[in-house]
Amino acid sequence: MSQGALSRCQLHNLHLAQARRTVLEHVEGDFRPGAITALIGANGAGKSTLIQAIMGELRPISGEVVCTVPKERRAWLPQQLALDLTFPMSVEELVMTGSWPSHGALTGYCAGHYRKGREIMARLGISHLAHRPLGELSGGQRQRALIGRTLMQEAELLLLDEPFANVDSETVDILIRILRQMADDGATIIVVLHDMDHLRRLADDVLMLNGGHCQWLAPSALAQHHAPAQVVPFTLGGRHAGSA
Amino acid sequence: MLDLLNTWLISPFDYGFMRRAVVGGLALSLAAPPLGVFLVLRGMSLIGDAMAHAILPGVALGFLLAGFSLPIMSIGGVLFGLMVALLAGAVSKMGGQREDAAMASFFIISLAAGVMLISLGGSSVDLTHVLFGSILAINSTALMLIAGISTLIVVTLAIIFRALVVECLDPLFLRGQSRRSGWVHSVFLGLLVLNLTAGFQTLGTLMAVGLMMLPATSARFWSKRLEGLIGIAIVLAMVSSTGGLLLSFHLDIPSGPSIILLAGAGYLFSALFGRYHSLAAKLRRKTTPLAVEQGSLES
Repeated sequence: MSQGALSRCQLHNLHLAQARRTVLEHVEGDFRPGAITALIGANGAGKSTLIQAIMGELRPISGEVVCTVPKERRAWLPQQLALDLTFPMSVEELVMTGSWPSHGALTGYCAGHYRKGREIMARLGISHLAHRPLGELSGGQRQRALIGRTLMQEAELLLLDEPFANVDSETVDILIRILRQMADDGATIIVVLHDMDHLRRLADDVLMLNGGHCQWLAPSALAQHHAPAQVVPFTLGGRHAGSA
Repeated sequence: MLDLLNTWLISPFDYGFMRRAVVGGLALSLAAPPLGVFLVLRGMSLIGDAMAHAILPGVALGFLLAGFSLPIMSIGGVLFGLMVALLAGAVSKMGGQREDAAMASFFIISLAAGVMLISLGGSSVDLTHVLFGSILAINSTALMLIAGISTLIVVTLAIIFRALVVECLDPLFLRGQSRRSGWVHSVFLGLLVLNLTAGFQTLGTLMAVGLMMLPATSARFWSKRLEGLIGIAIVLAMVSSTGGLLLSFHLDIPSGPSIILLAGAGYLFSALFGRYHSLAAKLRRKTTPLAVEQGSLES
């Protein structure tokens, strides 16, 4: 997989389990820096489990995740519903918490941080929402604010769990552009996707999970044979699919 | 008119016990509501109640060992409260049970153990005193203790404020950012226990939670900003503790319950007439026109 630049995140013969039930076995992989990898698979195929392992939240039964990206430069964007969005916090405040790695928990933000925060919000088209509480945002606006936090964090490894669910098409366009820019700057990006169209527009590599095993594919292989039965042994629209 | 104000609001404080009581109440009102706000935001409103019961056996042990000595009873309370918090955390990690379930089990055990201990060693008067407090009986030592604990809580909260906010919103993000993110939660629980021990001598173990939770839940009806919530909660707590004291003085009613009932009245009023999510807000159908809102955003 690796072409040129040294991979900063590798999976070696990974065996993962949740509550003593094996979810994934013999997972091998190498996430190229500067590439966007789509992680696909039906519900229950182990996408979230793999993400947890890469983030260091879940200890593998055997094998290892070799990740040279420091912990504070790894960002995980969970599915939308995972966050309590009635929390009284404004968009700007949320974006600013991403500056944590550069100044720690205890010192205040300086003018430079605020300037950077404003630039990021402008890039995402949410400057006019800076002082709006999170609870009043639409799904798309919220997702942009969360991406703003990872930009502020200068994340070098970015994992996104269904970032385009419940999001308007304008936001999808902006997010795809921003993610591509981050990848071009050298970030390693892993995205859980369900939509074939998004996959075609975004992915450089595809890691498919199915029946406890993984398979690396080129996106073109998936796109050309859109007939799920032969090449893709599961339905892509994971949310509508039955359990794995 | 002035005379009336003087009789109602000023002259009660000619008495030393009223002065100490009001200072103790104000000190508590500064420290307890911010903790309550964070508890509400984290969906842990009932944990405060559980912890209040948890300190009881410690207080009782202190009482058995040293008689009615507030410092010793407080130390016992803090130690026991922290122990229960740790145990509940450990049990929920071990068994996969939710922390609130473990907490509920431990606090009811603690309550029974505490009542048992006090009844074995003292009289029912002592029991009432510990359970319901006696703000009018605090002496200078107790006052220093309350003021000291309150100061410690406010300062610590200021230091861990941002970490606490991030933990409330997105614990996973915090865990990613810091190797020792677990300390935020532990320090917070520690502050909670400290605050409840400071509160038990004035309001009693059972009602100390009131000054923490009621202003915080009321504030939710008035503000959508964290700073606003904390500020409003503190003001509400100060008004109810001072007002409750005055009421109890003039009407000759018990002080602890009148403080908490006043805070409770504040809650009901907020729920009916508050700016957000209240009954009145639901009936009010006026909205800001789009043009006005956009204009204010650009400015």
